[in-house]
Amino acid sequence: MDFAAFAERADELEAEGSDLGTVALVADLLADAGDELPVVARFLRGEVFAGWDSRKLSVGPALCYEAIARAAGRNVSVSDVEARLADTGEIGAVAANYEFGGQTGLSAFAGGSDGDGGAGGDLTVRGVADSLAAVAAATGEGSEATRRDTLFGLFNRASPAEAKYLARLLLGEMRIGVGGGTVRDATAAAFLGAETTTPVDERGEKDDEKREDDAGTEADDDERGDDGDGDGERGPEDESADGDESEGERERETGDDTAELVAAVERALQVTNDYGRVAELAREEGVAGLRSVSLEVGRPVRAMLAQAGTVADALDGWDAAAVETKYDGARVQLHYDGESASVFSRNMEDVTDALPELVEHAERELSAPAIVDGEAVAVGDDGRPLPFQEVLRRFRRKHDVDRMREEVAVELRAFDCLHAAGEDLLDTPLTERHDRLRDVLDTGVSDLLVSDDPDEIAAFETDALEAGHEGVMLKRPDSTYSPGRRGRNWLKRKPDVETLDLVVTGAEWGEGRRATYLGTFLLSARVEGRGDPEYETIGKVATGITDEELAELTDLLEPHVVRESGTEVAIRPAVVFEVGYEEIQRSPTYSSGYALRFPRFLGVREDKAPGDADTLERVDRLADAG
Amino acid sequence: MFKAIVSASTLRDALDSVSVLVDECKLRLEEDELAIRAVDPANVGMVDLALEAAAFESYEADGGVIGVNLNRLEDIVGMANSGDLVQLELDEETRKLHIQIEELSYTLALIDPDSIREEPDIPDLDLPAEIVLEGAQIGRGITAADMVSDHIRLRVDTDAEAFFIEAEGDTDDVDLKLERDDLIDLQSGPADSLFSLDYLKDMNKAIPSDAEVRVELGEEFPVKLHYEFGEGMGQVTYMLAPRIQSD
Repeated sequence: MDFAAFAERADELEAEGSDLGTVALVADLLADAGDELPVVARFLRGEVFAGWDSRKLSVGPALCYEAIARAAGRNVSVSDVEARLADTGEIGAVAANYEFGGQTGLSAFAGGSDGDGGAGGDLTVRGVADSLAAVAAATGEGSEATRRDTLFGLFNRASPAEAKYLARLLLGEMRIGVGGGTVRDATAAAFLGAETTTPVDERGEKDDEKREDDAGTEADDDERGDDGDGDGERGPEDESADGDESEGERERETGDDTAELVAAVERALQVTNDYGRVAELAREEGVAGLRSVSLEVGRPVRAMLAQAGTVADALDGWDAAAVETKYDGARVQLHYDGESASVFSRNMEDVTDALPELVEHAERELSAPAIVDGEAVAVGDDGRPLPFQEVLRRFRRKHDVDRMREEVAVELRAFDCLHAAGEDLLDTPLTERHDRLRDVLDTGVSDLLVSDDPDEIAAFETDALEAGHEGVMLKRPDSTYSPGRRGRNWLKRKPDVETLDLVVTGAEWGEGRRATYLGTFLLSARVEGRGDPEYETIGKVATGITDEELAELTDLLEPHVVRESGTEVAIRPAVVFEVGYEEIQRSPTYSSGYALRFPRFLGVREDKAPGDADTLERVDRLADAG
Repeated sequence: MFKAIVSASTLRDALDSVSVLVDECKLRLEEDELAIRAVDPANVGMVDLALEAAAFESYEADGGVIGVNLNRLEDIVGMANSGDLVQLELDEETRKLHIQIEELSYTLALIDPDSIREEPDIPDLDLPAEIVLEGAQIGRGITAADMVSDHIRLRVDTDAEAFFIEAEGDTDDVDLKLERDDLIDLQSGPADSLFSLDYLKDMNKAIPSDAEVRVELGEEFPVKLHYEFGEGMGQVTYMLAPRIQSD
């Protein structure tokens, strides 16, 4: 396919307003793409390589502008390009406004032709893909010139319409309204006979792509395990990106057939991580071909991601929650083929060479070929985790890996298993996947607690925090692994938004090992009145407290005990706790008429007297706000 | 089989002339010479280099081809003092190049020659004008042109019997007129072509200022620049495709 023809189709897509029309246009284009179908499918998404491919184009804006300036004719400088960009705001439009092709190529003189310049529309989709592959392959010293010359050569041969999409492709932003869901649905429509439908999950995905495009500048954050996009950034529409929900919705909208065909494409995409290959498979082998694809050890899969959520969300929605330590590490995917291992980052970059410990760990400890999902954590000499930034230092490292390894040791915390001993596990429930993980890997496996008891979960979290980790992940025990999805089946426990400073008015003696310590503490809010200060109870806190702290608190509170009955003690208002919680509920259990859900001890407010504690009035306000 | 000893300065001159266009290339280890031909990634400039066996202190080769990273090789050779000799020996087993400079030995991993871009068809041109001048004169013209423009016009005025190096900027212009007497030789003919300074500047970097440079020129045709190094036993030809003059 000529690149000019691709550019023309892209222009039509850019002008198309409706999602339905976009899917139809993409379906037509895929059907017409011939041998170059895989490349066309990737180009539509602004991608040069398959998602699993660790090759990266690594063309920054500066390089792109330089190539454009050089190809643009006499005395056009990078600053001219930048000035035009400031006016139009979009590199495609800037590129389309230059006359390229002033520079002839040597081969124009080889065939006895008179050498009429480059802009002859001789670029093909395949040719562009090959040149960009050469750009990606040029690394190391002196490669900058090679990359620039190659790009200059491409622009020099481009017509204005071609230059527009060439520039956008280089910078990975096609701006033609084609999200992953569009290509998926269009693939089903073009080759499997599915109806053309509006991809219901498109909006969320497009936003996702935008954010990924920006990721270059926020690489630090992007590397971060499950936290890449940060909390609170994502609007409610992202929830629709959850696979299960969108499929459910689709069934209501269209026939089962279409839903099934689209699901087959979706699954193949999840497994192969390659729009090009899936489109080709759909065309050559149909649904059966799509269903037969399996994971390949050595080809990274997009990581399943988590939303922010609470213990309440988890236990309200599921029978029980699978709880894991949330590590402040960098997400890694380990592939082991039975002999050697490779390691990929969350962005599917090959970081094998940078993290030899993980490779050695996998090669030594894995008993069968496997794909393992986990976190790389940096560990200090005392065994406690080091901050995320320390892990990153290792990820970025290309030289002197051995020396860095001495400075920052990295360890594996594996928590999921996508493939074990020849069997794909994407559709296997989480708890079973974790069992399989333990089967193949003896060490470095993260503990998994399945529980429906908030206290038990809170205790697990306390232990995790105490060990220096970030907190906990909550996962739906029977959920399958959805690559690339930020669904609701994985939750990262949201940190407490508000805290309350409450007065300790009672306590209970602990049991067993903690029998000599005051344990569960009764908390009260202050009631503002005319006479003596009054306190109304609002809840009990027993979690978030280390043994050491219990001893200290006992010493602190014992002098204020006014009476004991059994294990219960009444305490004179004297000590103020800072307490975190997930929710304030109305409740008859306590005299304030409220109860705190999942309260956690955060610390003693040494600086506050009971008279400074939070008032019931504030609790009223917070409860109303919630 | 390849085993050679060569002076560091000769080898450096050879590598420099190629590295201005590409960062990796194929070395053809012919029985009677070491040859390199490479075209830049945009297919605009070409270098053709031959270093005769006589340019080496000793030279043994049997027609093999190896691929090298030029920057790396230049760095290594850069470790030598100008009077030093460089020993090169290909290890057929490991496909690595052993480089010995005095007490320093270096083992260079080679690149698979098949992974290096094939050069496209190279035009076989018979150009009407030929100008012979000193490298320094071309350098002067290029430096002056670079002050005002990113393009340079080379032309021969058949009536005036002179060679012109000209550049037109947005506001300023530069003209260097070299008459027959200023030149080593001139075969006058219709010649007028525009070239990218980016390329010509790079090529000029490799041309020794005291070298005799033979320039072949036509109308809207590629230019060829020939010069010798290594006491005449190394030959370099550059070819550069023109820009269209209409703008």
